[in-house]
Amino acid sequence: MAVALMLLAAGAIFLYAPTDALQGPVQRIFYLHVSSAVAAYGCFAVVLVGGIIYLRNESPAADRFARAGALVGVVFTSVTLVMGMLWAKPIWGVYWTWDARLTSTLVLWIIYAGYLLVRRLAEPGRQAARIAAIVGIFGFVDVPVVHFSVTWWRTQHPGPIVVNDALPAEMLATFLFTLGCTLVLAATLIAIRYRIETLIDARQAIAEPTKLVAAPQPGAAP
Amino acid sequence: MSIIVGNGLAHRFGNELALEGVDLVVDAGEHIAVLGDNGAGKTTLLRILATALRPTAGRLQIAGLDAFRERRRLRHYLGYVAHAPGLYPALSAAENLQFFCDLQDVSRSRVEQVLDEVGLTSVAYRRSDQLSRGMQQRLAIARAILHEPRLLILDEPDASLGSDAADLLMRVMKDKTVVLATHDHALANRLCQRTLVLRRGRSVGTATRLRVVR
Amino acid sequence: MNPLRVVLAVARKDLRAEWRTRELVPALAQFIILALLIGNFGFQIDSRNASTIAPGILWLALVFAGLVAFGRTFAAEREQASLEAMLMTPASPVAIFAGKALAAGALLVMCEAVLLPALSILFGTPFSGDVVAAVLLATVGMAALGVLFAAIVARVRARELLLPLLTLPLWIPFVIAGGVAVQSAMGLPGNYQQAIGLLLDFDILFIVLTSLAARFVLDE
Repeated sequence: MAVALMLLAAGAIFLYAPTDALQGPVQRIFYLHVSSAVAAYGCFAVVLVGGIIYLRNESPAADRFARAGALVGVVFTSVTLVMGMLWAKPIWGVYWTWDARLTSTLVLWIIYAGYLLVRRLAEPGRQAARIAAIVGIFGFVDVPVVHFSVTWWRTQHPGPIVVNDALPAEMLATFLFTLGCTLVLAATLIAIRYRIETLIDARQAIAEPTKLVAAPQPGAAP
Repeated sequence: MSIIVGNGLAHRFGNELALEGVDLVVDAGEHIAVLGDNGAGKTTLLRILATALRPTAGRLQIAGLDAFRERRRLRHYLGYVAHAPGLYPALSAAENLQFFCDLQDVSRSRVEQVLDEVGLTSVAYRRSDQLSRGMQQRLAIARAILHEPRLLILDEPDASLGSDAADLLMRVMKDKTVVLATHDHALANRLCQRTLVLRRGRSVGTATRLRVVR
Repeated sequence: MNPLRVVLAVARKDLRAEWRTRELVPALAQFIILALLIGNFGFQIDSRNASTIAPGILWLALVFAGLVAFGRTFAAEREQASLEAMLMTPASPVAIFAGKALAAGALLVMCEAVLLPALSILFGTPFSGDVVAAVLLATVGMAALGVLFAAIVARVRARELLLPLLTLPLWIPFVIAGGVAVQSAMGLPGNYQQAIGLLLDFDILFIVLTSLAARFVLDE
């Protein structure tokens, strides 16, 4: 169902919304780009909440949500970054500037890529889950702090400002619709991933009793 | 009163099961030896009893308290000698002990007493990495008794101790409840009233005075 | 239980052990000298742009020195299984954490004591109490975060890779605010008071957060 919605959204983007006067057809990337960013933040909010709940009462379900949210969130963040760069080149002439939003989105990506890496490298189970919860919490706090810092930094060094224009009605409608569809997509992906994580957990729980930490001595007791 | 009551204790490392379904009851003042080959799960069991490790299954009560929830309180009560000595190599024997006095809010006068008890007074100011393995082991034991615990969990304390191991351990273990892991059956016989034998993570049974399956 | 006694004991123990083995301090000193040399050759520094570039070199050097210093706070503990012995005492994990952060921070401050005058001598930048204050304030927050994440990665594989990956994003606000503070103290445009205020805010925020997190990271 989510796929159908996304197709609808794609249709809306290309057919319904009028072409932007200043930026041309490239501007249409904007709908998906911003929606994707919002969806990413939403995913990381899931990671945050999952982490806090896990620390509070060790619920494996909470941890699974956190894992699912992180993976889907990183995907959406990557999409946001790539789209941003594709949009930026024709419009601004460069792929990248170090303004607050771009920087903090990049930091966001790095933090949650780190989150996934930590999960992979730590001993699976309780330890990985706790460590990841801490990383997720700090990461979530850090992103607005970085955003704020860069914004403040810009006030110290006057430089080019990125303009965000007002949206005519049809564009706004398209945007909100796309946003809604993207959020549904994100939620669906998280749910799917959650199911996968549950299966992964279940597989881990099946132990092999004969496979012990060290082999018994030769000539051991009968 | 039972000091230790363990039910169905189990621990899994990743996909590997190190311990499964171990039951254990230890009464006040009892000395119990845990025997088994390398890899049988002795260290895992002892770490669980010392509240250094949380079992993945099973329940444990020490001195009537839930071992996991009250672990900070219980650490006033128990002393643990781990498999590895865990000392600070660059610090002297006395400095190592002083540090642990500070951590446990114990008066530093205990350092002298404890060094005397384990026979290390003459090397008190020597760097611990310059001590022989046997002395390091004694220092580890000294550290475990700094705060006068009522329960001792000892993981192969005799490992490098040499011929006077039994005397030292008997002195240290007097009037305390003790769980001791060792390879040395004769020592276990001398020091303990009961044994628990582990094989491949499972308890093969407890016995009085060592009637072990060999 | 006396947490202050624990904090001081842990800090004293770490510093004493570091002093006795004398590995870290020369390594860091070498590192700093190299950073200064490379900075000089990497950028075309003259008397006009020294104030612009020197702060950059300062923060680069500090960040990397910090990673090295904090990475080591738990290396030794782990090897000796002594961290477990410490955690087996009734001492509060937060106090242990604070002691280690204090010791690691002190080591970084010692680096700064070398780096700042060297910067001033070699590049001619002004060296004032304002610069020192900014650097010290930033060090506090960076130490808290660095030591917490060092504890996190201590028991994980590939910790040399993970520590910078996790810690650097969290240090960015400190480098930004600290950078502005140092630059403005050296005469460039920038609001020093605001920058210091920000550093203080970040310090408080992250000290609170790391203290809360310490129990989960250090406890079994």
